[in-house]
Amino acid sequence: MASPQLLREVDSVDTQLDVHMEEDVGDLSNGFQRSSPSVNDEGSQSQPKQSNLPNGLRKSGRKHQDYIKISVPEPKNRLPLEWWKTGIAFIYALFNLVLTTVMITVVHERVPAKETSPPLPDKFFDYVGRVEWAFSISEINGMILVGLWCCQWLFLRYKSIAARRFFFIMGTLYLYRCMTMYVTTLPVPGMHMKCAPKLHGDSQAKLQRILRLISGGGLSITGSHILCGDFLYSGHTVMLTLTYLFIKEYSPRRFWWYHLLCWLLSAVGVVCILVGHEHYTVDVVIAYYITTRLFWWYHTMANVQTLRSSPQNYLSRSWWNPVFCFFEKNVQTQVPCSFSWPIAWPPSCFKSSCKNYSMVQSARRQ
Amino acid sequence: MKKVVYWSSEEVSSWLAEEGMPEYSDSFQRLNGKDLLRLTEADFKKPPLSLVCSDNGQQLLNKIKTLNIEHHIEAHKNGHANGHLIKGKNGDSSSSKAKRNGMPNGFRNEMVQIHMPMPEKSHFPMEWGKTALAFIYALFCFVFTTVMISVVHERVPPKEETPPLPDKFFDIFDRVEWAFSICEINGMILVALWLIQWTLLKYKSIIGRRFFFIVGTLYLYRCITMYITTLPVPGVHFQCSPKLLGDWEAQMRRVIKMIAGGGLSITGSHTMCGDYLYSGHTVILTLTYLFIKEYSPRRFWWYHWICWFLSVVGIFCILLAHDHYTVDVVVAYYITTRLFWWYHTMANQQILKEATNTNFFSQVWWYSAFQYLEQNVSGTVPRNYQLPFPWRATPFSRNVKYTRLDT
Repeated sequence: MASPQLLREVDSVDTQLDVHMEEDVGDLSNGFQRSSPSVNDEGSQSQPKQSNLPNGLRKSGRKHQDYIKISVPEPKNRLPLEWWKTGIAFIYALFNLVLTTVMITVVHERVPAKETSPPLPDKFFDYVGRVEWAFSISEINGMILVGLWCCQWLFLRYKSIAARRFFFIMGTLYLYRCMTMYVTTLPVPGMHMKCAPKLHGDSQAKLQRILRLISGGGLSITGSHILCGDFLYSGHTVMLTLTYLFIKEYSPRRFWWYHLLCWLLSAVGVVCILVGHEHYTVDVVIAYYITTRLFWWYHTMANVQTLRSSPQNYLSRSWWNPVFCFFEKNVQTQVPCSFSWPIAWPPSCFKSSCKNYSMVQSARRQ
Repeated sequence: MKKVVYWSSEEVSSWLAEEGMPEYSDSFQRLNGKDLLRLTEADFKKPPLSLVCSDNGQQLLNKIKTLNIEHHIEAHKNGHANGHLIKGKNGDSSSSKAKRNGMPNGFRNEMVQIHMPMPEKSHFPMEWGKTALAFIYALFCFVFTTVMISVVHERVPPKEETPPLPDKFFDIFDRVEWAFSICEINGMILVALWLIQWTLLKYKSIIGRRFFFIVGTLYLYRCITMYITTLPVPGVHFQCSPKLLGDWEAQMRRVIKMIAGGGLSITGSHTMCGDYLYSGHTVILTLTYLFIKEYSPRRFWWYHWICWFLSVVGIFCILLAHDHYTVDVVVAYYITTRLFWWYHTMANQQILKEATNTNFFSQVWWYSAFQYLEQNVSGTVPRNYQLPFPWRATPFSRNVKYTRLDT
């Protein structure tokens, strides 16, 4: 939509063109045809053979000026929010959590009794005796870290993108955990563990157990961690490590004290799992390995744009690559570490409207 | 040198021979310098000159022109184009001591050596030293694994105390006795194929380096997981050799026996128990397949399929023989594939070889080792092949010299 000013300019250019054309009819420029000499006199001949203008510029009648729309490319938003994708990721994570809970219930039936299958030899257990309250420390640390991450997430500017990634990674880790838990059942790591009695075939009671586990979040503090068999690999380690990685990644670099604090919480939590003899060492080690690798893999793929189009990208051979492409297709750059108030303040109804700066803006609004 | 106009016919013919145009010397036998300079294109259109060469004498005319210029310049050493000095009033054309050479732009008469820039440093330097280091690393990890198996063997709970753990695959499939031999045969075939393929590669050292590093790291990880928690034997069919409590010599002999046999039960060296998490056989089967596929031409799809099939059947047979738990195989597959893909992506992308904030790949513990091994390799290693020995050594080749450049 051209403003009147632009129109006037176009008008003058047009005039100049006309004048020029009248003088040099039959001249060189592209698209010119040598018209018959009779056109030479005035430019207002009604039927020229061709429009006589260079490069297909149409000669609009001076009385009837059209608006010439010059389309300005919209600045592409490189970090679109796309909350619906976050919704999908959330459902995926929820599904996997529920699946894990169901799997724990199933596996519980197959755990060998402590008497028949004593705890496996573990190097850490040989050196460090069991401390009873250690597991509570681990769970408290986990809850603190999750709380911190939630608060931090609220203040992020690009909440949806960060949340999408968190849900996807967590969901995938729990999915892997389902598989490893299911295929081979390890015996309980210590004689102190009290496993709920087995319900052979009682589906209703199993369902109740599942609901209880979900509502308690799988923590023994809440009394929902009564089922055994979910040893390889450790879900507590996953949460401790993952929340720490996310906290560190999506907070400013200069908050080193904050990062150190979270790292301490995480490390102490993980060690306390072992001190409490609640998981084998190999469970913790594998959980740490898989969590860190998956986090780094996903984020490198998301941040390094050249990888996406490169044919030598072996990272795209993972099974979740199509899902990754779906989530991160429109995220063109690394998510900057910027924060904003969770609720827009002041509310927009109090804001004064911007003055009109130019006629272009008003024209555009038309 | 005399000016061209003063040349005699012998000098003309010797000049022709020098310039590599002896074919004209017959026709120009009675031509002296002056006539040479007066040759035009029209002369070459008529016989006999048109019969000598098909280019209408263009080459010869060009050479004559060059000759002309040289002499012209030498004759007029002063007062002309760039680099010319204005001499004194009695500028003598043939004065031997011209202040400057008198030719434009430093044009000189003699042979000038043009320094060719040396060919750029190869993008894929061989660096066998690094490959040797990687080999030593892999060897160390192998030996360490063997020692670890020997140590862990002492701690495996006896089958009577700790029965085999419940495993989904074992519930579905019963044990088949000869399955493990199939797995090991497949493994040996794959390793042999990979070795043959490796000898035919052009960039052996780089690829060998990668293989040793990845294999070494995988076995190192395996040591850790084996050591920290000891799983019981997966089946009651296992014959574990008796424990040698504290007898170092016997343990050493056991270690050597295992290394010599490569850890295979076919060779009778797989008598120790406890090395279950995770499965070394799966590692070798998967890794050799990945390397074979990666470093062979894409059109050999049938070859890739065969190797894939061998690999899958081998892994399936491990489970069928109840020689490993399912979780051992799954974890081994996961770690092997991820490490392979991770390493190769890092090696192929220059941007990932620098430790920046966005490059999370640099957070792995082996990143500095990786940088050391791969820093001079720029880009993807092309799949080029060559015979391991030079072709000329065989009696079949005939050395034909094509140009004088070859000497």
